[in-house]
Amino acid sequence: MTSIPTGDFSQVVTPTRVHRSLYTDPDLFELEMTRIWGQAWIFIGHESQVPNTGDYFTTNINHNIPVVMVRDKSGTVQVLHNRCGHKGAKVVEARSGNARGAFRCSYHGWSYRHDGSLLKVPNEAGYEGTGFDSSNPCYSMQPLAQVESYRGFVFATLSPDAPDLKTWMGGARDCFDNLCDRAPEGEVEVAGGVLRYEHQCNWKFILENLNDTMHPMVVHESIVKAAESYLDSLPEDAVEQRKEAEIIPPFGASYEKFEASGITGFPFGHHYDGGKTSIHADYSVDPDYHSAMVAAYGEERTREIYSFNTHNVLFYPSLTIKCAVQNIRVIRPISVDRFIVETWSFRLKGAPDSMLQRTLLYSRLINSAMGMVGPDDLEVYRRAQEGLASPSNEWVEFHRQYGKDEQRVDRTVGGGTSDLDMRTQYQAWQAYMEGTIFNEVKNA
Amino acid sequence: MNRERIEEFLYREADLLDRPDLDSWMNLFAESGTYWMPATEDQQDPINHISHIYDDRVMMEIRRRNFIHPRASSKEWEVRCSHVIGNIRLLPEVAEDVITVTSNQHVVVWYRDEQRLYACRVTHRLQIDGEDFKILEKQVDLINPEAPQQSLIIYL
Repeated sequence: MTSIPTGDFSQVVTPTRVHRSLYTDPDLFELEMTRIWGQAWIFIGHESQVPNTGDYFTTNINHNIPVVMVRDKSGTVQVLHNRCGHKGAKVVEARSGNARGAFRCSYHGWSYRHDGSLLKVPNEAGYEGTGFDSSNPCYSMQPLAQVESYRGFVFATLSPDAPDLKTWMGGARDCFDNLCDRAPEGEVEVAGGVLRYEHQCNWKFILENLNDTMHPMVVHESIVKAAESYLDSLPEDAVEQRKEAEIIPPFGASYEKFEASGITGFPFGHHYDGGKTSIHADYSVDPDYHSAMVAAYGEERTREIYSFNTHNVLFYPSLTIKCAVQNIRVIRPISVDRFIVETWSFRLKGAPDSMLQRTLLYSRLINSAMGMVGPDDLEVYRRAQEGLASPSNEWVEFHRQYGKDEQRVDRTVGGGTSDLDMRTQYQAWQAYMEGTIFNEVKNA
Repeated sequence: MNRERIEEFLYREADLLDRPDLDSWMNLFAESGTYWMPATEDQQDPINHISHIYDDRVMMEIRRRNFIHPRASSKEWEVRCSHVIGNIRLLPEVAEDVITVTSNQHVVVWYRDEQRLYACRVTHRLQIDGEDFKILEKQVDLINPEAPQQSLIIYL
């Protein structure tokens, strides 16, 4: 990677507002792809997606750079550039599968080991005496600048300067621990497939919305009222119907409830709402699951695991997870006004099947393009995208509780209805864009 | 089984979705009836694998109430559909009072000032109910269930 030139973005980002061009300017979008998505650790996939040697999973690390996650012969999960060392063709086209023995380019048949190294060039004699050196790494499928995983979650970065993954995650890492600790066996695995949802608006809207706790009671009022009026119509003994419908009303939680859940921000733009409590805290606990948890951890530790209750955590800019629900959403921008969200669900190892079924029910109702919550969120993002074409006001504001954010050693803490999440991510946005994001870690 | 009666039922169901009239449409379902839109090709399991939609009467009822709620912003846009049904086939009977019928359906959806085309194979499991039918299961297999989908606020 060429190094990122510094610049001054204070013209478009202030502590309490950002310029509308952040959502509408295609040139700024291209810069974001290089400077944010080209430097941050980006979530690629989970190790359980590639259990055996040669298993692979393909994705893009930003809007267009293709990569492949693959388990090599030594059992290591690699993330390689999906580009042939010869003419540059994408080597692996399928979304997932198993490459027995080697990857083979479909253009001229160059083949690669699972660690990306060049295995064979057909009719190699023609290169003799030409200065071509097949051992030069530039002719391999090159690994990303850095690849690391944490509890099975694989990240990669195009930047050699990014700090190690744990440092970059900071205190938000607790959420990965909590998600995995919710499994009696302490591990999760991808299960039950994926939903892909096209969003016709700028990618940052969904990140801003995750911990925007001033929107649910407005945007989701209708579905909450629909669920509540239905629940009210049920007879007392309609236990199963109640259980199914109870997923929805928390989306209409009050301002007070959200305020009490708090928002916590971290370096590099990460943040979550909740902690002690969240809108997911009141879901009933499956008795079989609870027994398995107590058998694995004991009563006290089990309560402790349940009690860390975040709603959404964002690992800026590519991944958001719901620990209490066991699903994640993966963000991939396409253009300034288009991106894709993928929802993946997880099985808690050692938990009864009912837990995965509940996760899938949640993903289906909330995150599906045909769901009852996601389409209302997308509707308001699209209205923002359309409204921001207006030159009547150049700025988007986030003043709520500004000046009250409490700075602690490794995090910033504020009220649950504050705009702390906005301030956190746009500080990181600015530092990524100005090329100063890793200065502090370098100097530390 | 009178094929004409089955076809007539499919057309009547499609008419209700075209309008759309979810109140009347829901009444075509049995109490245990389900509507399923899988998220992959040849998906066998609606419970242990993700789907775009898998609604029982509980979720249909909530969707119906949401659909007409004045504060549902995604529903402020009118939605209209046009179903064209073809290739209707009756599958061999497995039970005396239940029939399975498959059809190909092309559904044009007008929503958010945009016209979209969905193509799907639809499987109805119908309970014979006197001269009429009740839907036990309606399964809608899109030809592109794995593709990124756009918001869809109506049943196909």
